[in-house]
Amino acid sequence: MRKYWFVFSIYWQEGLSQRASFFMERFRALVVLVSFYYFWSALLKDRTSFAGYNYSQMITYVLGMNILRGLVFASRTYEIAGEINHGRLSGYLLKPVNFCLYTFFRDLSEKSINLVSAIIEVSGLALLFHLKIQWPHQATSWLLFLLAITGATVLYFFLSFIVGCWGFWTAESGGPRFLLELILEFTAGAFFPLDVLPRAFQDILKLFPSPYLVFFPLHVFLEKLNTAQIINGFLMEGFWILALGGLAWLVWDKGVSAYGAEGS
Amino acid sequence: MRYMRIWGRLATMSFAIQTGHPLSSFGYLLGKLVRLSFFLLFLAAIFKHTSALAGYSLEEAALFFLTFNIVDILAQLFFRGIYGIRGLIREGDFDYFLIQPLNVLYRVSFNTVDFLDVLTILPVFMITFYILKRMPGGLAWKPLLWYTLLMVNGLLIAFAIHIVVASLAVLTQELENTIWIYRDLMTLGRFPSDIYDSPMRALLTFVIPVAVMVSFPAKAYLGRLTGAWIGQAVVMAGVSLALSLKFWQFATRRYTSVSS
Repeated sequence: MRKYWFVFSIYWQEGLSQRASFFMERFRALVVLVSFYYFWSALLKDRTSFAGYNYSQMITYVLGMNILRGLVFASRTYEIAGEINHGRLSGYLLKPVNFCLYTFFRDLSEKSINLVSAIIEVSGLALLFHLKIQWPHQATSWLLFLLAITGATVLYFFLSFIVGCWGFWTAESGGPRFLLELILEFTAGAFFPLDVLPRAFQDILKLFPSPYLVFFPLHVFLEKLNTAQIINGFLMEGFWILALGGLAWLVWDKGVSAYGAEGS
Repeated sequence: MRYMRIWGRLATMSFAIQTGHPLSSFGYLLGKLVRLSFFLLFLAAIFKHTSALAGYSLEEAALFFLTFNIVDILAQLFFRGIYGIRGLIREGDFDYFLIQPLNVLYRVSFNTVDFLDVLTILPVFMITFYILKRMPGGLAWKPLLWYTLLMVNGLLIAFAIHIVVASLAVLTQELENTIWIYRDLMTLGRFPSDIYDSPMRALLTFVIPVAVMVSFPAKAYLGRLTGAWIGQAVVMAGVSLALSLKFWQFATRRYTSVSS
């Protein structure tokens, strides 16, 4: 495992060296955060609650949303398709590394940089606007939240890894990836809590993996779920991790068999 | 007429490039339409729980969101070439444009025409028309005229911002990310500017005029914009356009070629 931590370290340094891109990415996240902060503040201005959220819960959701976007959705798996299409994958295949683990640790470096930055931004905004965050009352909620976000991180990695592997069969994976990322972000609750949507829509969404990326962990944090809902949520999250992990392995295996090392 | 013909030729070339990648283009197009649909669904869902957002009804809030989309998409459609100016400079194509018998700013701005935006804006226009018809007074022609004029005014401000970005790129051969800062700030206009507090509203009106570009046309249609504000918006567009053109001349005069 030591070599993968070196991968983590190298990409961490590389991530911080590309300062312009890094600040641009964070600026983008900050604009989303500010616009949704004002949006929900305006909606909750003259009322005590909205769709089951009081002001403090909604603000906590918006701030948490920004942090989880930084952690869960930060990824470098978009590079996989290019590496396949330009034949650079051959270099990895010749090295004594597991490519899936390599890309996971490369992703972890990106995620950790974004996580630290998102926490600083959210803390700054909370101090600037004197925002009251609703912290979990019980220690177990913290543990369950950590477990839920770990699962969400792994789940998103498998999803994006599968999309990256499309590069084995097409050089045009950019558009489909853009589409999938948009759908995932909206249906994950990364723009707004999914409870504002009609009940039937929520029930359908919960059958898919996306709500377990942001919405479920934040509901655990806000202690809005009972024991049965928490168990059900973790079972679904676990099922999707296993299913998509298996699918990722299958896609990778089939892809490598089809790989022709063109362009290398 | 000659400029129209050149635009047609550049658009045809862009179309050929995009159709050369059908799967990718289809993904991007569908993504843009999905984003639009999700935001409209979000607005409709919000209004299941409330009757007003900062004093605006569902149709009125939707009008702000659709106006943001129209201005944003049209700006991308017409000024898309600016996004690639750094590449043009780096590859030496910009030098080639300078010696062509054509306005270089025109050539750079229309170097790329994104046809996906043409396909995206059609449903946006249709939904906007539907929303306008659903307004309490129905589709009113005089407010519609003000709405259209202020949107054109917003596009002129957007053009001025694009010119400044292009000028910075010519001067520094960097800052290609600057245009994305503008795009991100534009998203603050997705909702009515009234949701923001006074300092933020002032910032979005006088410093980064997102509100003037996006909120003003919708407010004018709803009869919530005074003549003084309309006058100010027109002056802002005129001044920003004049200053940006001056800056463009300043930048191109100092350009000493990079790679050709």
